[in-house]
Amino acid sequence: MQAAAEKPARGWFVRLWRAFVEAALVPILAIITAVIGGGIIIWVVGGNPFAAYLGLLQGAFGSTRAWSETFVWATPYIFAGLAVALAFKGGLFNIGAEGQLAFGALAAAWVGYALPNLLGVQLPGYIHLPLAILAGMLVGALWGAIPGALKAYAGGHEVINTIMMNYIALNLTSFLLNGPMKDKNPLNVIARTPEIAESARLLPIFANLRIHWGFPLALLTAFLVWYLLWKTTLGFEIRTAGSNPDAAKYAGINFKRILVLTMALSGLLAGLAGAVEVTGLNYRQELGFSIGYGFDAIAIALLGKTHPLGVVLSAILFAGMRNGATRMQFLTQIPVDIISVIQALILLFVAADAIVRKIYRIKAREDRLVLTRGWGG
Amino acid sequence: MKKLYAVFAVLLVAALLLPACGASGTPDCSKPETFCVGLVTDVGKIDDKSFNQSAWEGVKQAEKDLGAVVQYIETTDAKDYAKNISTFAEAQYDVIVTVGFGLGEATTAAAQQYPGTKFIGVDQFQAAVTPGVAGLNFPEDQAGFLVGALAAQMSKSGKIGGVFGTDAVPPVWRFGEGYRAGAQYINPNIEIFIVYHSDVGFDKTFSDPEWGAATAKSMIEKGADIVFGGGGKTGNGAVIGAVEAGALGIGVDTDQYYTLPEAQKGLLSSAMKLITPGVFDLVKMAKDGAFPDGNFFGKAAYAPYHDLDSQVPAEVKAKMEEINKALLDGSLATNVSPVKP
Repeated sequence: MQAAAEKPARGWFVRLWRAFVEAALVPILAIITAVIGGGIIIWVVGGNPFAAYLGLLQGAFGSTRAWSETFVWATPYIFAGLAVALAFKGGLFNIGAEGQLAFGALAAAWVGYALPNLLGVQLPGYIHLPLAILAGMLVGALWGAIPGALKAYAGGHEVINTIMMNYIALNLTSFLLNGPMKDKNPLNVIARTPEIAESARLLPIFANLRIHWGFPLALLTAFLVWYLLWKTTLGFEIRTAGSNPDAAKYAGINFKRILVLTMALSGLLAGLAGAVEVTGLNYRQELGFSIGYGFDAIAIALLGKTHPLGVVLSAILFAGMRNGATRMQFLTQIPVDIISVIQALILLFVAADAIVRKIYRIKAREDRLVLTRGWGG
Repeated sequence: MKKLYAVFAVLLVAALLLPACGASGTPDCSKPETFCVGLVTDVGKIDDKSFNQSAWEGVKQAEKDLGAVVQYIETTDAKDYAKNISTFAEAQYDVIVTVGFGLGEATTAAAQQYPGTKFIGVDQFQAAVTPGVAGLNFPEDQAGFLVGALAAQMSKSGKIGGVFGTDAVPPVWRFGEGYRAGAQYINPNIEIFIVYHSDVGFDKTFSDPEWGAATAKSMIEKGADIVFGGGGKTGNGAVIGAVEAGALGIGVDTDQYYTLPEAQKGLLSSAMKLITPGVFDLVKMAKDGAFPDGNFFGKAAYAPYHDLDSQVPAEVKAKMEEINKALLDGSLATNVSPVKP
C-alpha cells in the first residue's frame, strides 16, 4: 500500500484508514459527483431525487433481505471484477470476461446435470460440487488463455481478440442451450439446461434468504488474488510484466509465459463467476442469464483501481445500485435506467480523473495508474 | 486534508443510517378497501409496444374503471424475477401480473409462498392448476383464421403465403393452420403457400429475418400477393420482405403497425392476441372474488387496416366483422388441432 503519511504514524488503524482514503479519494469523489449529477438528471425529468435515492438505499441496504440480495448481485461482480483487475495488473485489457463467464457457467451446469447420468452413479456433494466449480474455472481459463497465446505468439492484440472470443462464446452458448444442452422436458420451450443435481449446489447460508456460500468464497478469492499479486514471485512477475515489460525481459522473466498465464488466471476467475452463479443461485444455465456482467466488471475493476479490496467495495456498490433500483422504481416510478447513467458517470469521472481533481482541488500525488500498453507493447 | 477524512467518516455513517428512515406517501395495500395491482415485466421495457405495454394498459384500465392502485417494476435481469414479484407481494398487493412465459416458474413459486395474492401470468400456459394463478392464453387458431379469411378476400391473384417459425411450438402451429383454415373457409380453391422454419434448430427458427424475407419473396415470385409472417424476427423479416417486394404483409401477436414501421405502408392487418382486455377481465374477476385458477383464454382479433383502410372494400369489412362475431359466439369453429398431430 502507498502509505505516504505527512506526519509520523499514530495507530495502525489511523494509518490504514489514511492509506485507504488516500487511494480511494478520487473514486469516492467520483461517486459523489456522479450521484449529484444523477440527482440533477432525475430532478430535470420531473422526479424527486431525494425520494429516489432513499428508495435506492432502502432497496439495497434497508433490510436483511435487501442486504442478502445485494450480496447475491455482488458475488459474480466480485469474481468478474477480480478477473479484469488481475489482467490489468499484468498490463492486459481483458474485455472477454463476458464470454469466459458464459462458458464457465455452461461447463459447471453440464457437470451439474449430465455427469451423474453419464457415469451412472450418484456423486456425493463433496466431490460433485467442487468438480462443477473446477470445470467452470478450467473452461474459463482455457478461453482466456487463447487470446493470451494469440498475443504472445502471434502478435494479435488482446482487446480485439477477446471481443471476438466473446462473439464466439455467446453464439456458441446460444447454440448449445437451444440444441444439445437444452432441457428435453417436452413442456420446456425455454433455451436452458436441465436443473443441476442437488449434490452440485452451493447452499444458501441462511434459510429463506438467497445469499449463498458463493459470497464468502468471493471474499476469500479476493484475498487470494491479493496474496498472489503481492506476496508471491508469480505475482511480482505479473505486476512487473504489466508495469514495465522491458524491465521484466531484462530481469529474466519469461514474458510470453507470464502473458498467457495472466490471461488464463483472468479467465479462470471469470469462469468462476459463471460457475458460482449456476451452482449457487440459478441451478441451471439459461439464455439471458448473467448477461453483461463481464462488461460491468470492467467498470468495477477501474473504480476499484484494480486492487482486490477496491474491487470488492466497488462490486458491492454496483450490486447495491442494481438491486436497489427495483425498490426505487417501485416507490417513485423513476426508470431503472437512471442507474446505468449514474454508473456511466462514475466511470467517466474515474477514467478522466482530472475533472474530479479540478472540481475538488486535489493535487495529483500518487502515480497515475497505468492500465494497458498500446499496440504491440 | 484532516477535514476530508472526517467528512468521509460522517458520510459513511450517514449512508448506513439513512435506509432506516421509512418512506412515506405510498398507499397502504394491506387495508382491505385498497385494491392494489402490480405488474412485473419480462426482461424489457414497459413501453415495448408489445406484450409488456399491452398488459400494462390493461392494468391502467383497472386503475381507471376499478379505482385500483397500480404500479409496475421493469425487470433488468432474469434472476430478479422472484425478487420483483415479492416486492409487490410483501407490500400486500392484491393482484400481481407477470408478463411472458419466462416468468412462469417464478409466478407459480410465488403463488405458493403468498397464498393471499392472486397472480395473472400473461402467455403462461398452466400444465397443472396452481391455486391463485391464472394463465392468460389466447386462441391463436382464431387469430390466424381471421387474417386467413381477410387475405383470401383481399388477394387478387388467388394465391397467398404464410411464413412461420417451427411448427413444433404449438402456438405457431395454431397461427399457421388457423390461417389456412380461414383462407379455405372463404375460398376452398385458393392456393396457399405455408412454410414453417422447422429445418433449423430452436436457436435459429425465430431469429432468421433473412430467411423469412427470402421465403416471402419466393412466394411472391410464385404469384402470392399477401404474406402472413408469424414467429419472432423470422416472421417480421417475412412481413418486411413482402412489403418491400410490393405485396401486402400481415403481422402477428400485437398490432405490428407500431412495431414494424418499415412495413407500415403495406401492412394489411395483424393477427392479434387481445392482452389488454384479457388482463383487465382477470383483474376484475379477482376484485369480484371470481378468480379462475388454471388457464384462462382471452380473445383473438385482427388489427385495424391503418394506411390501407381505403383499399379494403366495405363488404370485406362487413364479412370480417361477421366472422369475428361467429368465432366469438362459438357458431364458427376453426377445427385446428391444438398441437401438430
